[in-house]
Amino acid sequence: MAATNPLGVELDHYKWGFRDPEKYVFKARKGLDREIVEMISSMKGEPEWMRAYRLHSFEHFTRRPLPTWGADLTRIDFNDIYYYLKPTDGKGHTWEDVPEGIKRTFDRLGIPEAEKKYLAGVGAQYESESVYHNLKEEWEGLGVIFLDTDSALREHPDIVREYFGTVVPPEDNKLAALNTAVWSGGSFIYVPAGVRVEIPLQAYFRINAEKAGQFERTMIICEPGSYVHYVEGCTAPIYTTDLLHSAVVEIVVKEGARCRYTTIQNWSTNTYNLVTKRAVAYRDATMEWVDGNIGSKVTMKYPSVYMVEPGARAEILSVVFAGKGQHQDPGAKVVHAAPDTQSSVVSKSIAREGGRAGYRGLVKVYPGAVRSKSAVRCDALILDDHSRSDTYPYMEIEEMDASVVHEATVSKVSDDQLFYLMSRGVSAGEAMNMIVRGFIEPVVKELPLEYAVEMNRLIALEMEGSVG
Amino acid sequence: MARGSPGGLTRATIEAQSARMREPDWVHARRMAAWDAYERLPMPAVTHPQTWRRTDLGTMDPGEFCLPSGTEGASRPRFIGTIAREAEQRSGLITHLDGGMAGSELEASAVQQGVLFLDLATAVRDHPDLVRDVLMATDSWPGEHRFRSLHAALWTGGTFVYVPRGVEVSLPLVSQVWLGARGCAIFPHTLLVAEEESRVTLVELFASATDGPRTLCSGAVELFVRTGAQVQYAAVQEWGPAMWEVGSLIRGHVDRGASLRSLVVVLGGGLVKVDVESHLLGAGASSEMLGVYFGTGAQRVDLHALQDHRAPGASSDLLYRGAVKDSARSVFSGLIRVEPGAQKTNAFQVNRNLILSRGARSDSIPMLEIMADDLRCTHGSATSHLDDEQVFYLMSRGIPRKRAAFMIVEGFFADVFDRIPGARVRSYLRARVAEKMI
Repeated sequence: MAATNPLGVELDHYKWGFRDPEKYVFKARKGLDREIVEMISSMKGEPEWMRAYRLHSFEHFTRRPLPTWGADLTRIDFNDIYYYLKPTDGKGHTWEDVPEGIKRTFDRLGIPEAEKKYLAGVGAQYESESVYHNLKEEWEGLGVIFLDTDSALREHPDIVREYFGTVVPPEDNKLAALNTAVWSGGSFIYVPAGVRVEIPLQAYFRINAEKAGQFERTMIICEPGSYVHYVEGCTAPIYTTDLLHSAVVEIVVKEGARCRYTTIQNWSTNTYNLVTKRAVAYRDATMEWVDGNIGSKVTMKYPSVYMVEPGARAEILSVVFAGKGQHQDPGAKVVHAAPDTQSSVVSKSIAREGGRAGYRGLVKVYPGAVRSKSAVRCDALILDDHSRSDTYPYMEIEEMDASVVHEATVSKVSDDQLFYLMSRGVSAGEAMNMIVRGFIEPVVKELPLEYAVEMNRLIALEMEGSVG
Repeated sequence: MARGSPGGLTRATIEAQSARMREPDWVHARRMAAWDAYERLPMPAVTHPQTWRRTDLGTMDPGEFCLPSGTEGASRPRFIGTIAREAEQRSGLITHLDGGMAGSELEASAVQQGVLFLDLATAVRDHPDLVRDVLMATDSWPGEHRFRSLHAALWTGGTFVYVPRGVEVSLPLVSQVWLGARGCAIFPHTLLVAEEESRVTLVELFASATDGPRTLCSGAVELFVRTGAQVQYAAVQEWGPAMWEVGSLIRGHVDRGASLRSLVVVLGGGLVKVDVESHLLGAGASSEMLGVYFGTGAQRVDLHALQDHRAPGASSDLLYRGAVKDSARSVFSGLIRVEPGAQKTNAFQVNRNLILSRGARSDSIPMLEIMADDLRCTHGSATSHLDDEQVFYLMSRGIPRKRAAFMIVEGFFADVFDRIPGARVRSYLRARVAEKMI
């Protein structure tokens, strides 16, 4: 079976004896051509401009070569993927079909029953509907739009059209072109001027919408002086049989606004996770990315902030954990294109059991971006002698009056620290756990409380068996 | 004035050169194999886009250059006078003019102990047993990239240093390379073998004519530091602005308990792209790597450093300092690579850059690839402008702004310059930095 599998990865439905019941309302054939792209657009009843944009992007996708840097992507067979599946209102799977390992992880993380089913893709409804409705009324009263992007295109076509593809054009990279050609789902958030959304918006509040898909498209527009915190994904493993996840996230943060975007990525370990996330920050605006990567087989994701007007700020926090068979190649990109801009990047990576974790980042300072400042700090922890840590920071500085610093360290858990904790009666496993938790603390403390709790449990779970 | 052979570089160029030099068959055969690789390979921007994309070679065709045909009348570089006055501070001196050896000397005590210090063309004829197994002998060499193949096909001149087991050469050996011929290319190759427990210092000075059409240098330095040996190597480069130095390499192989200290100073050249590598092959090997680069005018400087840890308990420590002024552009990329099994590694890398003008650009890319866990690796990079407070302090002491700026830049380079052997070379370099500050 593995030999005939073009991706060469263990497919979950093989590994777990799981058979996909294939109860889709509509399923396009495998592979991608103009006809499939047109079909996706017509199934969705989209306006002509979107159909044309998809086709334009498809043409670019076919012409653009795969990136030759970063993780090995040559084993992705783009012709062996279904690009559009319209699910039967979430009734495709049953709880019994979900692999035991995933169920056990949910239990260990303490995730409520209903949420478990939602995460496993088997729950039709997430039972906090009433909570959701109250929140929804509140947002709507403020003029906040929070929809899945397909609905947004139907209900607010002008806003979508104004911003779609302006932050991440399809020509940006091959995967962005692919996403633009076949996108489906994702979140659309519009925050009017001066509105502060105090409760984080979370993707799973959108209960009746399509679940986060393979090629979701997320857009956040923060009008001047507004604030929003969007939380995507969750700490629990997302059970999926998808082999390729390629999202595009576009964010516009206008004058004086602040946007925070938190992701904890935990795709199952057969997934290629190739995501383009980018924000444009205007005068005195602040963009913050908090990005955690735990799952997937391969992740290439470099959340970016383009600071295009004076006083814009960027803050990027990244934590990554690579275990057996995983290659995590996340990072960050900050572009200083205006005076008095500031950026800060903190990356924490952990590799164990043969995993490969790293940081790849760009700091770019354009001429004229006077008094801009950037600080990047990358720390890596390697927990055994067959794992690997990579750091690839690129700094391109074209302005004299700028200050750019970068620091990185790679080390193992120090014997002194372990010894100290063990001399206080802590077991070796728990000591290791505590040290790793301390290592990622600067990032975890930025998470909403429930995520921080889950994140710590998850790390404990990942760390099991790491000592003797 | 020296003139080059017309017609550019062809297979016939190599045939003629091999015959003229009366080279052994094995040398000739290697040249021809490398030429085949050169003809087969596209430019490195195609084969190595990640490491070559930051320096644009434009339409430059290495095959269009000529080889210099003689040394008569070649104008002499300024530093030759500087070095000549420093005879009491060196153990030996060799001079290469326009790809040919123009004289060498080695102190009698070193000769008696079996030290060899001669041009490589002579060494391949007279000491094949010492040269054959180490000269560009790594399997990958000719195919590493197109300029490396070209170098292997056409190397001319360059120095061979051999220090027998246990021998210490007390004072530095100095090698100077000068290209006076216009529009020509040189491919100097330096090969140094320091046998077990020996000690030697080699200083190489490179310069070329200050005017005329573009010239090319694609050189290589191979340093073999055997068990317990200690080698110090310094390359000081002040090519004329017409020079493009492309694809050059300084590669050290450091065995068990041995130590290599390398130092690279890049002041001249229109475009300079050089790799500096220390391969730590034996337990407890160590390497210190220092560098200074100062780009002014429209200079392009692109340096890549590799700290390659292949054995346990080895250490490497790199410090590269660069400044850019006017519309100059610098690239420093450094990689610490720790192979599986290289436990107890200590590896450090620091790159600092000063941007002295609007319009100058500095890229810094310090990289880590770590495949062992019991180690300590750190790197740091900082890029900024002249510290206003320092300038203000000096000006408040009555020092004019220009002088203050020079003093700060001189101080910025001082900890590397201070380690260059030879007081006259050091003061000469300071003067050159002062000239570039104007």
